[in-house]
Amino acid sequence: MARSYLFIPGDVPRMLQNMDVFEADAVIVDFEDAIATHTKDEARDLTRAFITKHHENLPDIYVRVNAVEHDDFMRDIDALFGLDITGIVLPKADTHALKRYRETFEKKGEHPLHLIALIETPRACLDMLAIADYPLVRALMLGGEDLTSALATARTNARTEIATARGLMVLAAAAAGIDSIDTPYPVVDHPEGLQADIAQSVAFGFSAKACIHPNHVDAVNRAFTPSQAAVDEARRILAMHEKTGSTRFSLDGNMIDKPIIERAKNVIKQAGIHGRDLP
Amino acid sequence: MKPYKDIAHLFDDLGIRHGASLSFHHHLRNGDAVQNLVLDEVKRRNLKALDLYPSAVFPVHTTLLSLLKAGHIKRLTTNYLNGPVADYFATHGTPDMLRMQSHGGRARAIIEGDNAIDVAFIAAPAVDREGNATGLEGPAACGSLGYAMEDVKHASTVVLITDTLVDRLDGAQIIGADVDHVLLVNSIGDATGILSGTLSLTRDPIGVKIARTAMRLLDALDVVNDGFSFQSGAGGISLRVVDMLHEKMKRDHIRASFFSGGITAYHVTMLESGLVETLYDVQCFDLEAVASLKRNANHIAISADRYANPRNDARVIATLDCVILGATEIDTDFNVNVTTDSHNTIIGGSGGHSDTAEDAGLSIIVTPLIKGRIPVIKDRVTTITTPGSTIDVLITERGVAVNPARSDIQTRLDKAGFSTTSITDLMRTAHALCGVPATTARQVNPVGFVESRHGKRLDTLYTKE
Amino acid sequence: MKTIVVGSLESSDCLITLQPADKTTIDIESVVYDAYGKRIRHVIERVLSAHQLTRVHVRCQDKGALDYAIEARLETAIKRHKEVNHGA
Repeated sequence: MARSYLFIPGDVPRMLQNMDVFEADAVIVDFEDAIATHTKDEARDLTRAFITKHHENLPDIYVRVNAVEHDDFMRDIDALFGLDITGIVLPKADTHALKRYRETFEKKGEHPLHLIALIETPRACLDMLAIADYPLVRALMLGGEDLTSALATARTNARTEIATARGLMVLAAAAAGIDSIDTPYPVVDHPEGLQADIAQSVAFGFSAKACIHPNHVDAVNRAFTPSQAAVDEARRILAMHEKTGSTRFSLDGNMIDKPIIERAKNVIKQAGIHGRDLP
Repeated sequence: MKPYKDIAHLFDDLGIRHGASLSFHHHLRNGDAVQNLVLDEVKRRNLKALDLYPSAVFPVHTTLLSLLKAGHIKRLTTNYLNGPVADYFATHGTPDMLRMQSHGGRARAIIEGDNAIDVAFIAAPAVDREGNATGLEGPAACGSLGYAMEDVKHASTVVLITDTLVDRLDGAQIIGADVDHVLLVNSIGDATGILSGTLSLTRDPIGVKIARTAMRLLDALDVVNDGFSFQSGAGGISLRVVDMLHEKMKRDHIRASFFSGGITAYHVTMLESGLVETLYDVQCFDLEAVASLKRNANHIAISADRYANPRNDARVIATLDCVILGATEIDTDFNVNVTTDSHNTIIGGSGGHSDTAEDAGLSIIVTPLIKGRIPVIKDRVTTITTPGSTIDVLITERGVAVNPARSDIQTRLDKAGFSTTSITDLMRTAHALCGVPATTARQVNPVGFVESRHGKRLDTLYTKE
Repeated sequence: MKTIVVGSLESSDCLITLQPADKTTIDIESVVYDAYGKRIRHVIERVLSAHQLTRVHVRCQDKGALDYAIEARLETAIKRHKEVNHGA
C-alpha cells in the first residue's frame, strides 16, 4: 500500500538515478507531459538503460506513457517491454482508452501491465466506477490540473473545482476495492499550501497522493501514516475486542462496533507496513 | 589619539622593515579593502621576506597575489583561503610556505607566541577619539570582530584602520588602551561583500533529504531538548537543518541555550522568537546578523580565543552539544578534507571545522555521497583538515555511518530503530553507481601544511596536478 | 548528412553530438575527465562497436553522467542517425 507516488521526468538523469533517495513509496517516470515531443525517444532510452542497469533497491516504478491516441503510445509500450516495472499510468483514461490499451497487448500476444487510471476528463469522472471495475485497473488517480482546464475554470486555494471529482473518486475506488490516489499539489515551494492540500486528501479518504516534487514526499508520507495516537487507540480497541470476544462494547464511553474494529485493524496494518520511524 | 591620514607616514614612524610579520582579520570577507591598502604600501616600499597572518584570504586580495608573484612573501599563515592566492600556492608554493591553522588554533598560537605579530592592521568600522573601536557602526559595519581580538591583545603594535571617526563610542569591542595608532582612510571596504559565501538553505531534493535524515538522527539521539547547544556551518544543507530545527523547536516548545560560530539571519530569527537564549557570534555571515548584534543584548560578540582556543577552558564550544559540518572529501577512517580538492587545489580550510568537531559532544558531517559523479568517500582524503577521531557520524542521501569509535552512539541509534550502515558500504554503494574513480593527484612537491588547533602538523599540502 | 544532438549540459547528464565522418573519432570533454575519462571512452567505443558504426564523429560533453546515461544518450543518437542518414 503506497502512500506517495512521485512523478519523475523520464529524460533527467539526476532525477532518475536518485529515484530511490527521495523516500517515495512509488515513482511514476513520466514520458508524457514532462517530456517535449522531440525528446520522447531520449526519455525512453534513458529510462530503459537506467532500470536495466541499476535495478537493485528501487521503489515501485510506474511509467506514465502517452495517451492511447498518441503516436508515441505504442513506442512507449515497446520500450517498456521486458522491463521490471510495477505498472503503467494511463493518461486520459476512460472506458474507450482502457479497451484500446488491452487490445494493444492482445494484438502483440502479451500480458498487459497493471494500470493506474489517470482521471482527468469530465466524462471519465462520471464513468469512474466502470473504470475502477475494469480488471487491469489497480488504482484511480486524479489529474486535477487537466480536469480544471477541461472545466474551463481556475484553480482555487480551497480546490473547490475538483471537490466533486475527489469525492466521486474515493467512492468509486472503495466500491471497486482498489486504491485512490489524489492529484499532486502543483506548487513547488509553498509548504503551507502543501500541508493544507494534503489535509484535504486525507480528509476525503484517499489512500495515497501523487507528488510533483521530491520535497513534497515526506509530508505526504507522514500524513498517510497513522499517528502514534491513532495506533495506540487502535491497539486498545483490538485488545478490548479480543478480551471481550465481542464486536460491540464501550471504551472510554464511546460505543465500539464492527466498522470501528475493522478500521482499527487497518490502522495497525498501515502502521506495520510503513514502520513507525517517521518523526 | 591623533589619527594618521597618510599610510606612508605611518610606515615611516613604525619602521616596518623586511621580514616584518603583519596580521589582518577577514570580517569584511570578500569586501575587505584594508589588506590591499596596507600591502600596496608594502609593495611601494619593496619590502621583502614578509611573514603574513591574515585570518583568511579571499579573491579580493589581489595585492597579496602580486607580492607572492614578486617573491616577497616568506610565509603565509591563515585559516582559510580561496581564489587566485590559493591557486598561486598550489602551483608555485615552496615547502612550508603556507601554514594553515584553525580559528581556535590561530588564537592559541597568537596568545602563546607561536604567531609572533609585529604589526596588526585591524579594519575597524568605527573608531572614537580614544581609539576605542566597534564593528557595529560605520558604512562598513561587519558586526563581530572576533578574529581580530587576539591580534589586538598580543601584536607588538596595533593599528586600527577606519573610515569612520566618531567622538565617543559606548560598548566598544576594542579598547583604546590596546591600540597604538589609528589610520583614517576613505573606505575600509564594502560590508555587502560579507555575503561572499552561498548563504541560502538548499532546495535541492538531495540536500533536503540529507537535512531531514540529520533531523531524524537528532531525534533518535534525543539531542533537541531544553537547554541544548548547537552550531552548524553556513552550507546550504546545514542551513536547511537549522530551518528544520527551527520548525521542530517551535512545534515542541523547545528552547536552546546557545548557538555559536558564524551567525546568519536564520539564527537571528530564532533568537528573536525566543527559541534560543544566546547567540555567541565570532563572525557575522550576513548583514541581518550585524543588525541583530546591535539591537539584541543576548546576541554576543566573542573573540576567537573565547570561541575555540583549546587552552581556554572557558571556550564556548567546550560545552557544545552538537555541530553539523560539511566535507569536500571524507575517508574510511572518517578523516575530513575541506582544504583541498582531489587535485591538490586549495579551496578553503578549516576555519572552525576541526575546532568544533573536536569539542562538540556530537559532530555530524552532512554531504551528498556523490558530487558530479565523484564519490565523496575515499580510501584516504587528499588532505586531512579534521582528524577522523573527532568525527562521529556521516550522513549522506544514501545512508548514515557511525564512526566505530563511537559505539555509544551506535548502540543508541540501534535501540531507537534508526538504521545505519558502515562507511565502507557507503563507499561501495557510490562505486556501484559511479564506478571507481581513477586516482590522479600525486603528492610530490610540498607547499605547506595543515596544523592542528594544538599546533601539531596534521598533513602536508602539495602542488596541484 | 545531418548532425545529431542528444542529451543536455545539466549536471549528471551529457550532450552527445554525432556526425558522419571518414573514420571514427571520439572527443570527450568531461568535468570528471581525470577520474572517469577512460571509462567514458570505453563506454562510447563499446556502444559504437555493438552497432558496428565505424564512420562517425562522436563528441561527448559530459557533466558527470553515469555510464547508463552516456550509453542511453549515444543509443538515441545512433537510432536517429540511422533514421536520418539512412544507415550511413
